[in-house]
Amino acid sequence: MIGRRGLLLGAAAAAGLALLPALAEAAPLAKVKALGVLRIAVYKDNRPWSWTEAGKVHGIDADLARAIADKLGVRVDLAEIIADESVDDDLRNAVWKGGLLGFMPADLMLHIPFDRTFASRNDQVAIIAPYYRESFQLACAPGALDCEAPPTQWRGKRLAAELDSIPDFYLIGAFGGILAKDVTHYMSGAEAVAAVTGGKADAVLASRAQIEAGLHDSGGRTLDRRKMPLPAFTSPGWDIGMAVKENSRTLGDAVEEIVAAMTASGELKAIFAAHGVTYAPALAA
Amino acid sequence: MKGSMLRTLAGAAALALAAATAPTQANGPTDADLMNDAASTGDVLTYGMGPRAQRFSPLKAISTDNVAKLVPAFSASLGGEKQRGQEAQPIVYDGTIYVTGSYSRLFAFDARTGEEKWQYDARLPEGIMPCCDVVNRGAAIYGDKIIFATLDAHLVALNRETGKVIWNKKVADYQAGYSATAAPIIVKGKVIYGNSGGEFGIVGAVEARDVETGELVWRRPTIEGHMGSLNGKDNGITGKLNASWQGDLWKTGGGATWLGGTYDPETNLLYFGTGNPAPWNSHLRPGDNLYTSSTLAIDPDTGVIKWHFQTTPHDGWDFDGVNEFIPFDATINGKPMKLGAKADRNGYFFVLDRTNGKFIGAHKFVMQTTWANGFNAKGRPNYIDANRPGAPTAEKGTSVFASPSFLGGKNWMPMAYSQDTGLFYIPSNDWGMDIWNEPIAYKKGAAYLGAGFTIKPIAEDHIGALRAMDPKTGKIVWEYKNKAPLWGGVLTTAGNLVFTGTPEGYLKAFDAKTGQELWKFQTGSGVVGSPVTWEQDGEQYVAVMSGWGGAVPLWGGEVAKSFKDINQGGSLWVFKLAR
Repeated sequence: MIGRRGLLLGAAAAAGLALLPALAEAAPLAKVKALGVLRIAVYKDNRPWSWTEAGKVHGIDADLARAIADKLGVRVDLAEIIADESVDDDLRNAVWKGGLLGFMPADLMLHIPFDRTFASRNDQVAIIAPYYRESFQLACAPGALDCEAPPTQWRGKRLAAELDSIPDFYLIGAFGGILAKDVTHYMSGAEAVAAVTGGKADAVLASRAQIEAGLHDSGGRTLDRRKMPLPAFTSPGWDIGMAVKENSRTLGDAVEEIVAAMTASGELKAIFAAHGVTYAPALAA
Repeated sequence: MKGSMLRTLAGAAALALAAATAPTQANGPTDADLMNDAASTGDVLTYGMGPRAQRFSPLKAISTDNVAKLVPAFSASLGGEKQRGQEAQPIVYDGTIYVTGSYSRLFAFDARTGEEKWQYDARLPEGIMPCCDVVNRGAAIYGDKIIFATLDAHLVALNRETGKVIWNKKVADYQAGYSATAAPIIVKGKVIYGNSGGEFGIVGAVEARDVETGELVWRRPTIEGHMGSLNGKDNGITGKLNASWQGDLWKTGGGATWLGGTYDPETNLLYFGTGNPAPWNSHLRPGDNLYTSSTLAIDPDTGVIKWHFQTTPHDGWDFDGVNEFIPFDATINGKPMKLGAKADRNGYFFVLDRTNGKFIGAHKFVMQTTWANGFNAKGRPNYIDANRPGAPTAEKGTSVFASPSFLGGKNWMPMAYSQDTGLFYIPSNDWGMDIWNEPIAYKKGAAYLGAGFTIKPIAEDHIGALRAMDPKTGKIVWEYKNKAPLWGGVLTTAGNLVFTGTPEGYLKAFDAKTGQELWKFQTGSGVVGSPVTWEQDGEQYVAVMSGWGGAVPLWGGEVAKSFKDINQGGSLWVFKLAR
């Protein structure tokens, strides 16, 4: 299958193709206000950021999206998008072009990496309002293994990771792959964390938000959290922002003002806290 | 399903008309009819024009002598805004041409006039994100039913006279990344099909359902360690758990069977190809990763694997092994043999003993294969290790040039085998790719280690090449070069002809022995479908779908220059000789 190859192709495809006109233009600020609705894309099945339970979209991103629409004085239309092989593809599907089968482009999409190189190859969108600093962490069931030990000492322990993620590649690939047989794969980071809080695994490498929200949801479990950096671990963390269509900068500016005010007032921090996650400002903010 | 009332009325009218004017074939095609499709010239009942999918017709009214006089009989538009990616092969039966269209549509056209009899539009959820365009490759016909697969991974059986739904079964979960684009095949009252999807977390499988009810009969996963089923009971594990996979990666190992399969009545074996393994980076999954990038021979009655042959062990280049395996007979070294052949994404044309999977030969059919230097006598590739893409790192690292590109020496488009010339006609492409580690990558909002790549041509004058391969010697007898990549299927006939389409919009006819181009017709959009031929009212007809799309236009770079002026479309074209 060739889906993953889309990774770097959003921009290339845009340049190479005479693209179909977007089915519906993402509306700049005046149009959003006139229509009285702001369509915001969030990821489907992305705990603790956005997920559906009993017909309602929950999560930090869902709450943030509602607050932004509220402060703009419009109704929110939360659109869940199934993640494609890369965020570049997601921006094409959810923001600037729309899905091949009629997914209407959103005015705003949350949870977009705020990164100069990434932004430069996605020039159909403007990436704005960095609102969080994410990073990967190792969390361990107390007594099950030594969280601060060299990873090679974890042979034979039950390690959990999200399938096809940096934690996965690290655990099955590092140190000549000696931990590969000890890794159990889960379809999401949240499930990998739940495996440890539920006693099915000894340690998990996942995002800090996934770990903290998982602990929050488990009703007061505590896990050891590794403080030392993992040897030869490749990801120093990344900033999370939002995206609007390149020609929707009026809307982008208004959203940036709202997010700045929510940060200053502590409202943003409170949204994170409600899900058990410690707010961390983006480095770029 | 908008317009169901209209459809019903049209269907009823068609029925009445048929009853009044011709003896109806009320019961429809039987198992025996399907098995005899390669010899029966008055219809096209199966994907591949016969269960072996040789795409060879014994008709010779149209021949090298008169093909220049081939003219359109009619054209029929699929209409609407959905003008892209028509990869289907028509089915022709009882005065009706059935074609599937992009976006999971099925059309019935009058085979004499081109008038539409009915149309079925599957209602698709807007959340589907098909990886490789919105195509469908064809339908299967049986009794009163015409059956096709939809992008949201359903199998739908329609009444072939009315277009009304008889049954509609979800075969996989599109929200988990599954889709369906291939034509199903029908063997002994069972509709048999593969699955498709992105590489993330899926496992390939072949399934058989009762054609009358749509109920599951058997299921055979393609990855070692997964349990098969027969009539609701466990039916043995595929392969041996962890024999060629580490840890739990077999649970999400890939190996999708997205191109469907062929069937050989003589050996009573189904042949299905399997996709590449997951995760994409080969350094993270040591071992052969069975049965990815392989051909599987499966018992159609039980779903048990009888043999396998892996064309790309431990794939690291995205060389799906899904390509069609075409049974044929030939005499090799004085010995008559039951053989099968497959032109693989990896650039090699494989000849195997189809009774047991024994390796006979692998012959290069593209300009260049950087990843391996031929195959040894046991059928293992002689890898060129320096050209394997590297392990994922946080450094951009060195770029590796790989040829063929991940789109393959041959992609989905089916080749043809002529019983007259003994040659296979392979729609191939000569292209490579630069591939490198891409540290600035993100997936679902999180940092990720991906690969970057650019596809590029490797020749000045062409990407596409239609090649005539002698399966006994591995020699290429002739080739036709095309500027843009070839993406359509091939048909060959006893009139010493080979037909195929081009992205530039032409359906072309070639001399099967020499490759000389004898005829072409501009259809108005790129041809990426598979042509068919049949006899009707004493005349030979040829039909093909026109409508540019598929995976090629999704990839830009230098290759895009070869098709930048091609317009979208969606039409059936039908030809016959001028009187």
